[in-house]
Amino acid sequence: MGAEKKPEKFVVSIGPQHPALKEPGHFEFAVEGEIVTSATARLGFVHRGMEKGTESRTWVQNLYLMERVCGICSAVHAMAYAQGVEKLAKVEVPPRARAIRQLIAELERIHSHLLWLGVAAHEGGFDTLFMLSWRDRETVMDLLEAITGNRVNYSANVLGGVKIDIDEVKSAAILKGMDFLEERTRHYMKVVTEDETFLGRTRKIGTMTLEQALRLGSVGPTGRASGVPYDVRVDAPYAAYQDFPVNIVTDTAGDLEARFVVRIKELYESYRVIRELVDHMPAGELTTRIPRRIQEGEVVSRVEAPRGELFYFLKSNGTDMPERIKVRTPSLCNWGSILATAVGHRLADMPMILAGIDPCFSCNDRMILVKRGNDQTVWTWEDLRRYGIEYYK
Amino acid sequence: MDIDQKLQAGAEIVKEWVISTSNPEVNRVDLVVAPENLKKAVAAMLDSQWGYLSAITGLDHPEYLTDETGVKKVDPDRGNLELLYHFSGGAAVLTLRVTLPYSEAVIDSICDIDMAAQLYEREAAELFGIEFRGAPSTDHLVLPDDWPVGVYPLRKAFTGLKKES
Repeated sequence: MGAEKKPEKFVVSIGPQHPALKEPGHFEFAVEGEIVTSATARLGFVHRGMEKGTESRTWVQNLYLMERVCGICSAVHAMAYAQGVEKLAKVEVPPRARAIRQLIAELERIHSHLLWLGVAAHEGGFDTLFMLSWRDRETVMDLLEAITGNRVNYSANVLGGVKIDIDEVKSAAILKGMDFLEERTRHYMKVVTEDETFLGRTRKIGTMTLEQALRLGSVGPTGRASGVPYDVRVDAPYAAYQDFPVNIVTDTAGDLEARFVVRIKELYESYRVIRELVDHMPAGELTTRIPRRIQEGEVVSRVEAPRGELFYFLKSNGTDMPERIKVRTPSLCNWGSILATAVGHRLADMPMILAGIDPCFSCNDRMILVKRGNDQTVWTWEDLRRYGIEYYK
Repeated sequence: MDIDQKLQAGAEIVKEWVISTSNPEVNRVDLVVAPENLKKAVAAMLDSQWGYLSAITGLDHPEYLTDETGVKKVDPDRGNLELLYHFSGGAAVLTLRVTLPYSEAVIDSICDIDMAAQLYEREAAELFGIEFRGAPSTDHLVLPDDWPVGVYPLRKAFTGLKKES
């Protein structure tokens, strides 16, 4: 009693279950009182062995595997993979197929950004915004379902083109949907830049300067909110972005508010380019033939996923199966920004800062196929298939 | 600046360490460097602000054994690992390639000059068994904590864990 108490380092451990998002990740924040003094992350809880898995599947089977790297941005994974394989096989995809790829990718970006808006609002304790933005997101989900038949994992891409087409009825539905969403998005812009309570959670929170963002390798809207001028759609146009360009959206503030503003402005860009695509859709074929065996070679395929640059490296050994496929997803680049910006903030701000980069754990974790527990055996494709059939019987 | 000029400018930055050059695609240049010079080359690339480190890809090039029945099998003990450091600058991609034999799979960590490389390095360390000298953390990042030591899943020799008795 009476002895002076020295401040102790206290570590708050968050996760793997339910840190801020509905996916597993483990974080340790060292705190002094309420202020965070250091942060570390542990990933890998949903590591599924996908890169290894590609080496024992054919080029065609892998299209469906890669689409399942992520449930939110599945179309960009399939697109990055398909574009890489087409480059390896030296096959030119028809213009209409390229335009439809871009259309699906932009619709997906809308769904992803609206999803993020809701999640981030929820983490900030603004559940009305969460529910409204997710209600409106159903518009784009319905459109994607009408066009492709699926709400997620659209399976629109095939090697050599796309397997879905749009007609006048679908075009009209898309245009109507864009008008509705644009009006709603203008309202959300007003909410996130004017609502006092919400600004208290976002303005000058988690600020990352341009210099920090460059040093930490931030990509996508997280980097662009700090002024990092990278956007693969603009820097290295793929699909039909050459003919239907988008404008890069950046901000200088670098705080959470800027990350909201950048993503919302990107939504406007997506609405605009989708209208252009629908109005000037090139005519012609949807697919071109592609050989089953892909000639030897190595290619890099980069696309702009909703979260930033998605990087694929593909190596073929001349057979019908790849030698190596490397996937570097944007969330992986953006972890550094969380761990660096967390320091000096209140513990209560951590969920918002975590949500601020729109992290996608499934994207980070891909490669190992393990069943945990005592029975540490690897499941074969046949085992998994049988398990799936039994499970859903 | 068009892509050719951009690639040339990039190759110029690291030319004193380059052993050989190739152009696998129109927007790419691959430069082979010796492992001991890699860190210097990466530092020069970052200092010049030519672009940013997009990814580090690991590749396994095992040697093959032919057993008495004539079946070709991966030799788990002999072969080379390759690391590809991809830098992106606009549409151009410059790749620094280093080759490391299994017997000496060690290279300098670049985390102190590029913090973003840490996750890429730790992925390569766990999945290919490459030691990054001076890396800030060697804890498990993607593999389970109880993963057996010395088992590297992305090497070609790995086909699955043995069932525990």
